[in-house]
Order: sequence, then C-alpha cells, then structure tokens
Amino acid sequence: MTNIFLQLLINGIIAGAIYALVASGFSLIYSTNKFIHFAHGGVIALSAYVLFWLSALIGLNFYLAVFLTIIFSAFLGYLLNKFFYKPFRAKKASPSILLVSSIALLILLESIALLLFGADIKTLDLIKTNRGIEIFGAIITPLQIVIVLVSVFLFLGLYFLMKKTKIGKAMRAVADNKDVAEILGISAEKIYNWSFVIGSVIAGVAAILISLEQNIEPTMGTNLMIKGFTGAIIGGVGSVPGAILGAFLLGLVENFGIWFLPSGYKDAIAFVLLFAFLLWRPEGILGIKNNHKC
Amino acid sequence: MGHIAFFGIGAYAYAILALSGFPSIVCLLSAGVISACFGFLLAIPTKKLKGDYLALMSLGFSFVVYAIFLNWSELTRGSLGLPGIPRPIIFGFDFSGNAAFLSLVIFTALFSWWFIHRVTNSPFGRALEATRDDELAAQSLGKNTAKLKSLSLIISAFFAGIAGSLFASYITFIDPSSFTFTNLIPILLIVIIGGIASLPGTFFATMLIVLLPEFFRFVGLPSEIFGPVRQIFYALTLILIIYFRPRGFYGKIDLE
Repeated sequence: MTNIFLQLLINGIIAGAIYALVASGFSLIYSTNKFIHFAHGGVIALSAYVLFWLSALIGLNFYLAVFLTIIFSAFLGYLLNKFFYKPFRAKKASPSILLVSSIALLILLESIALLLFGADIKTLDLIKTNRGIEIFGAIITPLQIVIVLVSVFLFLGLYFLMKKTKIGKAMRAVADNKDVAEILGISAEKIYNWSFVIGSVIAGVAAILISLEQNIEPTMGTNLMIKGFTGAIIGGVGSVPGAILGAFLLGLVENFGIWFLPSGYKDAIAFVLLFAFLLWRPEGILGIKNNHKC
Repeated sequence: MGHIAFFGIGAYAYAILALSGFPSIVCLLSAGVISACFGFLLAIPTKKLKGDYLALMSLGFSFVVYAIFLNWSELTRGSLGLPGIPRPIIFGFDFSGNAAFLSLVIFTALFSWWFIHRVTNSPFGRALEATRDDELAAQSLGKNTAKLKSLSLIISAFFAGIAGSLFASYITFIDPSSFTFTNLIPILLIVIIGGIASLPGTFFATMLIVLLPEFFRFVGLPSEIFGPVRQIFYALTLILIIYFRPRGFYGKIDLE
C-alpha cells in the first residue's frame, strides 16, 4: 500500500536537499559578495562533467574521482572570483552589470561543457541496482538517504563554520558591512576568495550527488540555479539558513503541487513561486528588508 | 530581461491563429496586440520595482511563459511544437517565397523603426528619457513615471510580438525551446553593443551579431561544434563588451 502523502513528503525532502545544496553555496557567495553569482550553476555543471570524465572515461577509483572533483570545484570557484569578478569589481561595476556578466559566464561555461562532451545525457552507472527500501508505505533508495544525510551534515558544518570559526565570523562581518570589517583589519578580498571556495565546494558536492541520483547534461547548471535561486529568494537571499529553508520549502511545494497538477507543471510551480515572492516579499521569509540603493 | 517571452507569445499567437485559418494580416497584428496585452499584465506588478528586482521579475516572467508553452499542450502541443505554419498572404500577395518574405520583413522592420523613431522624438519619448535619467526629477515635474514605464513596456512587447509572428512564419515551425532565456543572449548582446537607447546602434549591432557567426560556418566546423561555438562567441563578446565598453558603440548611457 503506498502512502502517497509520505512519498511526496520524502520526495520533497530529497528535492529540497538537492536545491538546498545549490542554494546554500550560492547564498553564501551572495551574502558576502553582494551580487548574484549565476555562474554558480556553471561550476556545478562542469564539476559534474569532471566527475564523469574522471570516473567513467578515465576510470579512476570513484572515491578518488570524487575527491579530485571537489578540488576542481573549489579551484574553479576561486579562479572565477580572481580572474573574472575581481576585475569587474575593480571597475566599480554595479550589481546589475555583475548579474548580466555572471549570466553570460554561466552560458560560457555550459557551452564549453557542451563543446567538450556533447549534448547527450551522461550517466554514472556506478550503482547497479538501486532498489528502494519501503518505510511506512513510501519508497526511498539508499542513495537518496545518503543525499539527505550528506546535505544535513554539510549544513551543520556550514553552521558551525559561520558561527564558531574565525573565517566564518569574518565572512559574516564582511556580509554585514564590508567597510567596517576592513577597518577592523579583515581583508575583504581574502574573504571573497574564501566565500567562493567554500560555496563552490558545496556546489561540487551537489554536482556529485545529482550526477549519481539523476544524470548529467549541459543545461543542468541553469536548471539547478533557477531552482536554487528560487529557494534562496523564498527563504531570504541574504541569509544562508534562509536559503536552505527556502530550498526545502520549494522542494516540498513542488512535489505536493503535482498531487494536484499534471507533473509537467513541476517547474512552472517553481517559477510562479519565484515570481510571487519577488513581487510580494522580495526579502524572503527570513530576510531583512534591504534598500537596494547605495 | 524577460523580453524573449513576448517574442514567444507573438510567435505562438500567430501560429495558433494562422493554423486555425484566420487571415494573415489578422494573425500578424493580433500577435502584436496579444503580446502587448501580456506586456500590460507584466507592467502591473513591476511598476514599482527598480533595477535588479525588475530584471529578475521579468526573467521570472519569461520562465513562467516558457513553462506554459511547454505544458499547455492543448493549446501549444507542448514540446512537439507547431509545424506547418503558413507564410502570410496579405492582400493577395503571397509571401511564401524567400525573396518575397524578405521584403515583408524589411518593410516591417522599416515601419517599426520609423514608428519607434517618431515615438522617441516626441514629447512622450522625451518624458521617457527624463524618467531614465532621473526618475525623481521627472516625478517632481509631474510626470507619471510608472505609467510611462508601463507604456514603454507595452509598446516594446507589441513589436516583439510582431517579430515573433514573422519568426514563426519564416521557420514555419515553432517549439518552446526557441524561447528560453538562452535565446535572449544574442538580443541582449545586440542591445549592449549597439548601445542602450540608440536606434542606429541597434541596427549596426544586429547586422554584426547575426552575420559574424555565419563566417564560422565557412571555416568548416562540423555542425555539433557550431552551436556551442556560437554560444561561446556570444557569451564571450557580451562579457568583453560589458567590461571594456559598457556604453556600447552608440549608447547614450552606461549600463548602470
């Protein structure tokens, strides 16, 4: 007997976990750097392809491939900040310009993936049979349990990082007020780099898990960014816990939504939510009202 | 940032009407009008927004419209698309041939240019420029800037709709994938290169952006590479232009 409610709940949590992974890294970068790093999706897409290349094409041991992929993600994030965003910042570019250039960067990264690997869908056939376990009438696979556990673990780690470590506090300081933070001796540039590295590491983890659970295709970055971004907006884009909350909410609403609507509308639900929140509550659920001037 | 939605709405409106047998001139104009109506709809919530949030809202709007194209299969046949869209037959002229169609397009483009030129050089146009330069000042002089912004959105949606209908009848087949955000990038590029708020700039930039990738074709790249290379070309050019010359070549203002 399938318990539909529980199944949808579980699906919602799994989807939410994936979106939250995307949203948390992105939100960390946004709150520190104060602009929308759309190319985050490109980091995810390229990391997924790197994993595919290392694991399926070269045939490296899977865990080694995972390790190297995460290093790649971190490095790519760092490079993007240093060689792409930093010059723009030096020119005192406004957030709008950074947004547009970030979107262009996303397209650039995804096109590179398309060029190098082709448009067909790739899969990591590492888990031969992924039979689900039945709990109270709903089915969940071991991989999905891993996804949820890994994300929760990461979020707790992120929380610990932000609240207790020196780097975390420095990041929050720069997020709050960059000028004052610099007066206090914090190098904003170094913090920017760290935010990109950490955010991109989370992106790498997201890429790995998504590649295992679903598949790899060149536009996966854009799709995930839209969902992650929507989650971040819903929960409050300047706040990392908010982004995580919003992402989980999005996952749940999406999955419960298709109880009533045809399943093709799943993505539309996300877009409508994004639109609605931008309209009525742009600061999100946990966000603080922010005057977008200055 | 959601302008591709109006393009798509125009295309689908034309296609659906034309396939239902309405006369071409009705289809063409209705495409523009229907797009303009959606422009009006979008204008309502976005009247009060500025900058980033306006861009994001219109972006979100384009996503919603795309999702509708993809899912409302009773109307749009979803991802199967609408094939067999007839070329226009206006007042007895059959525009099925490419040369004839080209002349139709040129005529429409010239007319649009003339119209927009008249509009931007009218008191209405000057009020729009004032709003762009300093909204608060314009308001203090008594201009209803929200209404001005809405009107400009509606007008631009109209023309995007007309363009969409021409696109639909040119290719004779449309499906939702032509109207994703990625397809907006070349248009965005044209606007930025030509310079915002400049008509001649837009003209030259369009020629440039459309013709340049065609050179790559002659270099002899295999077709799987051509697509992504073109995207890379657009993305890189956009980035370079924003970085080195945000004013574009004829622009009146910097991308603020």
